[in-house]
Amino acid sequence: MGNREFKVVGKSVKKIDALSLAIGEAKYTADINLPNMLHIAFLYSPYPHAEIVEIDTKEAEKTPGVVLVLTYKDVPNTLHTTAGQGYPEPSPYDTRILDKRVRYVGDRVAIIAAETKEIAEEAKKKIKVKYRELPYNIDPEKAKESERIPPEGAYHLLPTIYEPEKNIAAGITLSVGDVEKGFSESDKVFEDRFEIHYANHAALEPHAALAFYDERGRLNIVSTTQVPFHARRITSRVLGIPVKDIRVIKPRIGGGFGGKQEVFLEQVVGLVTYKTKRPSKVVLSRKEVFISTRTRHPMITWYKAGVKKDTKEIHALRLKALMNAGAYGPHALTVMANAGSKVLPLFNKIKHLQFEGFSVYTNLPVGGAYRGYGATQGYFGFNVMLDMIAEELGIDVLEFFKKGHIKKGETSPIFEKLGEGKEGVSQIIRSCALSECIEKGSKAIKWHEKRRKKIRKGDKVRGVGAAILMQGSGIPKIDMGAAYMKMNEDGSFNLHIGATDLGTGSDTILAQIAAEEIGTSIDKIIVYSSDTDFTPFDVGAYASSTTYISGGAVLKCARKIKEEILKVAANMLNVPQDALFIEDGTVYTKDRTQRVTFSDIALYSLYSKDQHQIQSVASNIGLESPPPFMAQFAEVEVDIKTGRIDVVKFVSAVDCGQPINPALVEGQVEGATVNGIGYALWEEYVFDKKGRMLNPSFWDYKVPSIMDIPEMEVIICKTYEPTGPHGAKSVAEIGINGPVPAISNAVYDAIGVRLKKSPFTPERVLNAIKEQGLKL
Amino acid sequence: MEGLIPESLNEALDALSKERFIPVAGGTDLMVRYKRWKNLTPALPYPPLFISQLKELKGIYRENGEIIIKSATELSEIEKSPLVPSILRKAVSQMASPGIRNMGTIGGNIQNASPAGDTLPPLYVLDARVVLLSKNERRCLYIYEFIKGPGKTERLDNEIIYEVRFKIPTHTHEFYRKVGTRKANALSKLSVAALAQLNEEVLEDFRISFGAVAPTPIRRMEIEERIRGKALSKLDDHLIDEIAHAYEKHINPITDQRSDKTYRKKVTLRLLKAFLYQIRSR
Repeated sequence: MGNREFKVVGKSVKKIDALSLAIGEAKYTADINLPNMLHIAFLYSPYPHAEIVEIDTKEAEKTPGVVLVLTYKDVPNTLHTTAGQGYPEPSPYDTRILDKRVRYVGDRVAIIAAETKEIAEEAKKKIKVKYRELPYNIDPEKAKESERIPPEGAYHLLPTIYEPEKNIAAGITLSVGDVEKGFSESDKVFEDRFEIHYANHAALEPHAALAFYDERGRLNIVSTTQVPFHARRITSRVLGIPVKDIRVIKPRIGGGFGGKQEVFLEQVVGLVTYKTKRPSKVVLSRKEVFISTRTRHPMITWYKAGVKKDTKEIHALRLKALMNAGAYGPHALTVMANAGSKVLPLFNKIKHLQFEGFSVYTNLPVGGAYRGYGATQGYFGFNVMLDMIAEELGIDVLEFFKKGHIKKGETSPIFEKLGEGKEGVSQIIRSCALSECIEKGSKAIKWHEKRRKKIRKGDKVRGVGAAILMQGSGIPKIDMGAAYMKMNEDGSFNLHIGATDLGTGSDTILAQIAAEEIGTSIDKIIVYSSDTDFTPFDVGAYASSTTYISGGAVLKCARKIKEEILKVAANMLNVPQDALFIEDGTVYTKDRTQRVTFSDIALYSLYSKDQHQIQSVASNIGLESPPPFMAQFAEVEVDIKTGRIDVVKFVSAVDCGQPINPALVEGQVEGATVNGIGYALWEEYVFDKKGRMLNPSFWDYKVPSIMDIPEMEVIICKTYEPTGPHGAKSVAEIGINGPVPAISNAVYDAIGVRLKKSPFTPERVLNAIKEQGLKL
Repeated sequence: MEGLIPESLNEALDALSKERFIPVAGGTDLMVRYKRWKNLTPALPYPPLFISQLKELKGIYRENGEIIIKSATELSEIEKSPLVPSILRKAVSQMASPGIRNMGTIGGNIQNASPAGDTLPPLYVLDARVVLLSKNERRCLYIYEFIKGPGKTERLDNEIIYEVRFKIPTHTHEFYRKVGTRKANALSKLSVAALAQLNEEVLEDFRISFGAVAPTPIRRMEIEERIRGKALSKLDDHLIDEIAHAYEKHINPITDQRSDKTYRKKVTLRLLKAFLYQIRSR
């Protein structure tokens, strides 16, 4: 099964939108301008927690060019969640379009629509607001005793722990075996606390949305969304406009990373257009993206591990997680749950396990989905703990990894016990090349030549560190994607998918999956995606689901249309269907004596006899969520005078099943790795005491520049996942999880200092050196 | 608002003698300081006077033992020029990014007078002088007299920075370190530039300047004087600690979004000591 022969899959074909993007023809949301269009600006709260006592918009409304000013008094007050998740969302309904109370610096106070953006921005300064400041809290460890943040009446659709009066946005506890007993049976117990921080997705394209009425009075919304169908559903509910009257279109997207899995602009442009009957558009500035959209949830994790000296194995493990949800709770339950569910099964032989997670409200920016989705937060402490334990046991951590990790044919009780806000789905691992990833990755980084060598040159000391990871492929038994295909006269096919290409290349790889299955070339597949009127449903691009879930739908759909093609060909050639096969867009009899081309077949079916459209439709849900696996290795150089860390080499070895498009796989892994390195070293929200972000621009919030990118190596360790389309698993998120722990472990290897609080800025490195009493 | 693109330096000085302009030599800092909503022109307080194209303000020369850098010389030219001492080239090569170095000029960086301005510490240790021209006058000030505070200089509204000049240094040791968040397009958390001249076991000259740790770069002549002329054998741990201690009260960094004061102070002093140790080890 390992090595199938493919013709289109497994090839690095060009992205189908590459040329149009390169020459600037393809449109992004912000590129679209309509006649008579209004521009929208927001007024934001300067306070972390306050009540609007008085709000006077008269002066703003009088400004020439201002058309509409909306405050909490003028908008529907439906409680909802902005989390673009399936229904019912596993996130609390605690948000309004605008509210009388503001809950963080950056919460919306008013919406202004004007003839130009400048007028709207100027007019917002004329809105007079009288606030009554309320007690606020920015410390998640004090959330339970602090002033209530969520509004009265906030509720959760799922039967889960939700205690808004105590600022608890979500809670989960679960046990396998008896962890206390496990600790008492252990020879040595390790315990430590890890803290991981706020960050922004920093997608180059800022969030934007545009609304207009079409000639039949339906509300059209163009949006930078990862979730067009969820956006339609949530907008419909919040505005009270029937789903049938809304169409959501996703044009090209300049990066999502989870930040666009949120629905907070669609209802605003929808409302402005509804009220004014004019097109309206909003494009956020970078500052607004930082302060008012969504972030990576910061998390404190406490790991406790009991180890037996004779078996050199972890006997009992407890993970406590405290997640800071920020002022509202999108993804508060599921990101926190994933810190357990995506991490604990990796070491599946631990007998006694406990996971206890809480998400709490604070008066800080709102967390949301972000590449890695809890796994990033959980894997930091996990991999550092494994490094500490291996050292104590006197074994190479790579051997410890290889012995402990889950293997093909094995399972973990966590799969069944912990899912997305409810119980999970049990599964057996059907493909896993993690040991091979560790082996090949360690060779590429020259592990054995460099580990424990502390090679020093002047003030700079080098070290290597590693981390192992898994993710998932979609949310099992929840995520669904669908595909539709029809055949044209020239033997080409329209492929319509709800799936959402965010720049990821999913339009391309879905076309590859279809072309491979049908037996034609990729240029014969015309892809149209992400339009709620013209494509079938898809949950959208999140949870590493598109290749596996939507790709599965495309595979099924292609299989069906292939049957239809063969049926027509059998009629044309007057032979039984099973005497036929397809090669390069032509149907042959098995003895190759007769043939008809796809074009012949399409023409025949449309014009000749028993006329019909050759077409198919298919839906797909994931019954399992096969994890991709990865081993990541960092080589760092630490400047002991300044505390500055340079990553000099980074290796990622990944098992994502069969890569559909190897170049795009490498791109995803490299992108996630650079994303993770920036997160590990510098990318960080800096707050003042009132929770005001001090660095909301690329001037002060630094993502890696090309100069900072180390020598990178991506190694693909191919497997074949039997439940995936053409053997594929996911790859988009996993690579962001390893840089934080791998760099932390590499710094320890270099200078003997454990970094347990991220990001590892020079300031924190020097602090850690001081705290741990090291003389260098 | 209308700007002016003069064809000669005289025309520029003439215009400045009549009306207030904001001279633009690269504009890489001005564009950011006065930026508005994207796609809009920056809100400059006065009409721009574009001077980067003036030939009289371009070029790097050597004259009577001095190096002269005309004010509108791009940073990328300075980075490449073999006439420029390596301490200044090193500092310039770590500034911003190639695109900005192609636009930004030395005069612009000086006039911007940022506490984190990266050409300043090297110019301080080179004892650079800033030559200012107005229609009827020519003035020459040491760089440490010229820089007054964040964004504040001695330049009068009718003046243009004409050139920067300094004696060709004869040092035997040099030291330049910048600590930034990342390797490109990052403002300094701190920077240190230093020169020393060792002559037969005697420290004949010692100059050091620190950037981004106070409102203006720091250079303390009276402390330098204490070790100038000392035999190397006298430069023991005790003296090095004493020197560091003497600088300590002048280094008063702030905590901001880029770093914190404890870190800035500690690392600055560490780098000072590192340079002294480096001299001691010859």
